[in-house]
Amino acid sequence: MNVYTERDSGSIVADFLSEHAQVLSIAFFFALCVVFFSYTTDTFLTSRNLLNVIRQAAPILVVAVAMTLVIITGGIDLSVGSMVALVNAVAAIALSSGVPWQLVIVGMLIFGGAIGLLQGWFVAYQGIPAFIVTLAGLSILRGIALYLTQGYSIPVGKIPGFLFIGRGTLFGMPFPAIVAIIIALIGYVVIATTRYGRQVIAVGSNAEAARRVGMPSRWTISSVYMVTGVASAIAGLLIAARLGSGSSNAAVGFELQVIAAVVLGGTSLMGGRGSMIGTLLGALTIAVIGNGLILMHISPFFTQIVTGTIILLAIWLNTRIFTARFRVPWARKPEHS
Amino acid sequence: MNSTLTVAGDEAINEQSPRLSLRAIRKSFGSVQALRGVDLDVFSGECLGIVGDNAAGKSTLTKIMSGTYLPDSGSLAIDGEPVQFSGPADARRRRIEMVYQDLSLCNHIDVVGNLFLGRELTRGPFLDRARMRNEARQMLDALDIRIPRLTVKVEQLSGGQRQAIAIARAASFKPDLLIMDEPTSALAVAEVEAVLSLINRVKASGVSVILITHRLQDLFRVCDRIAVMYEGTKVAERKIDQTNLQDLVGLIVGEAIPDTGMADS
Ligand SMILES: Nc1ncnc2c1ncn2[C@@H]1O[C@H](COP(=O)(O)OP(=O)(O)O)[C@@H](O)[C@H]1O
Ligand SMILES: [Mg+2]
Repeated sequence: MNVYTERDSGSIVADFLSEHAQVLSIAFFFALCVVFFSYTTDTFLTSRNLLNVIRQAAPILVVAVAMTLVIITGGIDLSVGSMVALVNAVAAIALSSGVPWQLVIVGMLIFGGAIGLLQGWFVAYQGIPAFIVTLAGLSILRGIALYLTQGYSIPVGKIPGFLFIGRGTLFGMPFPAIVAIIIALIGYVVIATTRYGRQVIAVGSNAEAARRVGMPSRWTISSVYMVTGVASAIAGLLIAARLGSGSSNAAVGFELQVIAAVVLGGTSLMGGRGSMIGTLLGALTIAVIGNGLILMHISPFFTQIVTGTIILLAIWLNTRIFTARFRVPWARKPEHS
Repeated sequence: MNSTLTVAGDEAINEQSPRLSLRAIRKSFGSVQALRGVDLDVFSGECLGIVGDNAAGKSTLTKIMSGTYLPDSGSLAIDGEPVQFSGPADARRRRIEMVYQDLSLCNHIDVVGNLFLGRELTRGPFLDRARMRNEARQMLDALDIRIPRLTVKVEQLSGGQRQAIAIARAASFKPDLLIMDEPTSALAVAEVEAVLSLINRVKASGVSVILITHRLQDLFRVCDRIAVMYEGTKVAERKIDQTNLQDLVGLIVGEAIPDTGMADS
């Protein structure tokens, strides 16, 4: 008679590698970019430039963390760039007309969250595809920003407290970078360890199942758009404080950089699967490439081409190689006995 | 052999009041009459098989029992008391659980997370992973389900393991009635065996079971009684020892098959 044996359950190391293959590959790609620009330019690997890179990466990272939640639910938010511009412009108008900067900050965060929640309501409660709702948002919010500023750049004025947010340093780190790292940490904790994070993943993985077990699936979906709204407001404030002015032309193409960072980090556009560490590395990679190409004296317009190409390649890898059943080839050896 | 505890005689079953009884249930989706007046009783501790061709209305009928759909007309009663479910959560409170045909698992969440989906144990806003892992292990052990590592994502498991998790999750709500919609239709041979013996274990713990399946041979392994549906109606009921494969096939396709020797007597 045959003796039934069971397969080895596979080494934990190999399972870990399979599970995190995408994060490891983006980590590798990030390292590759750093090495490449270190050799091809003299200035890339100076501490001044590196601080500059993380200062510039900060707004992307802040919004990418929030976008990771949205994409895990299987949605997308195309309006973040316009939201950044609108907050940027409104904040500058408010500051230049003498509103206290602390009040402006709080007001802008609420404003961003409210607009995000409105978009989320259309998506979750009215069943309109996120792509359509936020594409409309992209147009409307940028339009409002243009209308309010008439296309001009509005100086913030000399408000040291506010400008510190974009230009200051704390413990040798640019303040925006500190904000971004704290937000990335919060994002990681939320998605990995909280009940809310579990709801976000469940809704993206199987919305019907989440509903059947009694999760508040509609509220969960709306809420992630509120989070991108707040995150975009933070990014808008960081940019206004760095440039010392607000403009309706800020953050053009920002949504693509953010989405590229998230997708590059291994978060699946089909929902359910995402990684905050991947998003962190993705955002840094996008910032490094942007910075490196400029240092190499390549036309800044070229970065747009590179960003687009990266999105396409990352999604291609995502759908072709890192599918649900992807395994490290040696992860599970069949055992013959 | 595999058949368990209850093969009570006619009288014993008929004297009990049914745990769940349905009367004149109708349900339409637009112009499709999915159910055209169905009566059905489920008794304590029995396993009732429901068979019928595709689109006969089996899934719709069981979704009405589990509160997923409201019937257009007709009535439900639990232990003789009329009820109306407001949703799956309501049915769950009345100890009716359903394992859906699509399992309702989240592929991207681990085994523990799926077992506790929607009722996560927490400390403040944070998931209490250690406690959930321990209790998940107990849930699975109670049904003798072997899954080596509970922290793997469900998408990495085989069809049989996924089915077992869905059943374990449903069983952990301590239902009086557990409904399973085609639990074996997508499984390999060995996995079917595992799920059938799992059903027998659930049944042995005193739970009434409703099993929808296309694999008629399975019915004879676990069921005490079989209801046959045809085009939105219930056309026949059989005690398991008063029927055979050929008889069932005839009832399902709607032809009286002569020469079975075992038709109703
Ligand atoms: N949600 C629904 N919307 C529209 N029609 C449905 C729906 N659910 C079931 N039906 C229809 O009702 C009939 C019975 O379906 P179902 O109960 O799923 O049958 P079975 O499970 O026996 O194969 C079919 O004709 C099916 O197309
Ligand atoms: Mg069905």
